[in-house]
Amino acid sequence: MIRGSGWGDILVTANEKMSNVRVKDKLSTEHRLIDNIKAELKPRLKEWRNSWSMIRNNWTAMAGVIMVGFIVFVALAAPLLAPPHGDRDPLQIPADFQFPKPPFQSGEPIFGTGANGIDMYYGIVWGARTTVTTSLYVVLTAALIGLIIGAIAGYYGGKVDEILMRLTDIFLSMPALIMAMAIASILSRSLENMMFALIIVWWPAYARLIRGQVLTIRESTYVEAAKAIGAKRNRILFRHIVPNSISPLIVNITLDLGAVALTAASLSYIGFGVQPGYAEWGRMISDGQNWFMSIVYYNGVAYNPWWVIFFPGIMILIFTMGCSLIGDGLRDILDPRSRR
Amino acid sequence: MDSYSVKRFGQVVLMRLSSYIIRRLLLIIPVIIGVTLIVFMLTRIAGDPAAAYINEKMSESQIEQVREKYHLNEPIWDQYLYWFQGILQGDWGWSKTDSKPVLDAIAYHFPATFELALVAMVLSVFIGIWLGTKSAIRKDKLFDHGTRVVSLFGVSIPVFLLGLLLLDLFYFQLHLFPIHGRISESYVVAGTVPNGPTGFYLIDSLVAGDFRMFLDVVWHLILPAITLSLASIAVILRIQRNSMLEVLGLDYVKTARAKGLDERTVINVHVRKNALIPTTTVIGLTFGALLGGAVLTESVFAWPGLGRWSVSSIGRMDTASILGFCMLVALVYVLVNLIVDIVYAYLDPRVRLG
Repeated sequence: MIRGSGWGDILVTANEKMSNVRVKDKLSTEHRLIDNIKAELKPRLKEWRNSWSMIRNNWTAMAGVIMVGFIVFVALAAPLLAPPHGDRDPLQIPADFQFPKPPFQSGEPIFGTGANGIDMYYGIVWGARTTVTTSLYVVLTAALIGLIIGAIAGYYGGKVDEILMRLTDIFLSMPALIMAMAIASILSRSLENMMFALIIVWWPAYARLIRGQVLTIRESTYVEAAKAIGAKRNRILFRHIVPNSISPLIVNITLDLGAVALTAASLSYIGFGVQPGYAEWGRMISDGQNWFMSIVYYNGVAYNPWWVIFFPGIMILIFTMGCSLIGDGLRDILDPRSRR
Repeated sequence: MDSYSVKRFGQVVLMRLSSYIIRRLLLIIPVIIGVTLIVFMLTRIAGDPAAAYINEKMSESQIEQVREKYHLNEPIWDQYLYWFQGILQGDWGWSKTDSKPVLDAIAYHFPATFELALVAMVLSVFIGIWLGTKSAIRKDKLFDHGTRVVSLFGVSIPVFLLGLLLLDLFYFQLHLFPIHGRISESYVVAGTVPNGPTGFYLIDSLVAGDFRMFLDVVWHLILPAITLSLASIAVILRIQRNSMLEVLGLDYVKTARAKGLDERTVINVHVRKNALIPTTTVIGLTFGALLGGAVLTESVFAWPGLGRWSVSSIGRMDTASILGFCMLVALVYVLVNLIVDIVYAYLDPRVRLG
């Protein structure tokens, strides 16, 4: 630094030095923060990469990923695969056709037509969107509610635990489908109400699961250590206990995506889900079943209209089977005992 | 341990078991109250409970009398208490769907569902355990892969879809099985429907000494029972296979083999019973799925049971029937799980009866 001597200069240099130090210090804290984050993320990233490679090596889980991926792709690309007509609600299947039209006839809807002259192809494509959104929404909401309630019940124990667990007892004392039926029965028939009923039915299982996890983790040494350095209760609960009880949650979420899709289709099938004509696979089967075991004539040829059941059925099967394959694969991967 | 302490140990276990059972039975009471309270509130929000007792010909004052009679003018808590009092006294209300008292309607529909569920339960327990045991013994062989496909298929396929596919194949295409009902129309028309003491056609037809009718009942039962049991078979099979594999890896099994016991003795004496323990716990849980599946199966096969009755009563907002059905299902489900837990505690002495 080339400056004249004198107090002022000294002061200036001192100031500059100070600020330099400060900048450097700031930089180094930032660096340290980033390094910290990196250091914290690194094992996790490695773990995820590890898990992913294990999924790739597990061919049944990979088959599940492909199956679910296919359905999710159809759900996302629905407006491209089957453009909705005009400004109609895209989830109402257009019924502009004659019934019956068998599938794979030139110039006709590719998967044929169903009862009331609906376009089967359109219904199947948009049904993917209904199913994926329903399952995701229901399972994630239920898991979140269950996570909070289960964590609170397990960590605080005592009366809170007792009350919350008796509450879950009540909800778990009836089979899911029947409880959802009873709740859906009093609401008007719509997709939103069906999801609401399913969420009410589904959260208690998660609360139980998380509570059990929390009870075991609460006694572990690292929680003891956190307590010893004076961490607050909420911090211990949400920084230490909840993240460590996540892995069984992930497995259950994956398996339940399929189970919710099954239950939703069943509710729609018996008539407590969506209205007729809605793009939902269970509803499509229900609407088509009267034709399923009959003979129809198209251009003078007799058909047994298998397509009204087959296409929506195979889509449900692909989704639920895929979820169950991924869930089993994840269970094997996340459970260290089964890694050997 | 000498014989005295063995006896003493047995007594302590029995005492603990009985107090455990009593405690669990007492716990059922708040659960049942909770379930019915929730459903009661829901149905009261949804519709007018007086609708079941009113028809168009009634005048305003008559309707008012109906409301008076069934306490429908009082606060909802009092209404619930009146309803619960009725339950205890055997008055479960009037079923609009069946045009008879709810208790009579349940008594009429219950045997049909129970017969179907019981047959499906027995099928799934025996087939599931058998397949699971065998596939564990033949791990990674063709049989194992086969059962894995079956179990994957069983948990994934919707019950109603399976029912429809079976109907299409065996009724519509092959004409091997009947389309619906518990018994052939000819018996209904002739008025010789088994009218025995139990309401189970399987038993009643045998009591009546009519073997042809018994076969007819079995013939009607096969497709619904397969439809209903496949999902439970899949679950039980999987659990049994896993727990067999776990037990097969334990040290005492190695010891048994090292002693030179042949494989059959090792499996039958040392492995099978111990592997059954985790399986019993899921049997109670699958029973719930079975009750839910019964609703769907009955809808597909037009089975005159509780499931179909509940679907139509929900469709008509028949409050008393819905409440009765929910109460019954909760009671049965909780009791079955209690029995399973007791069996579990009996099979596995390590279980603490807490």
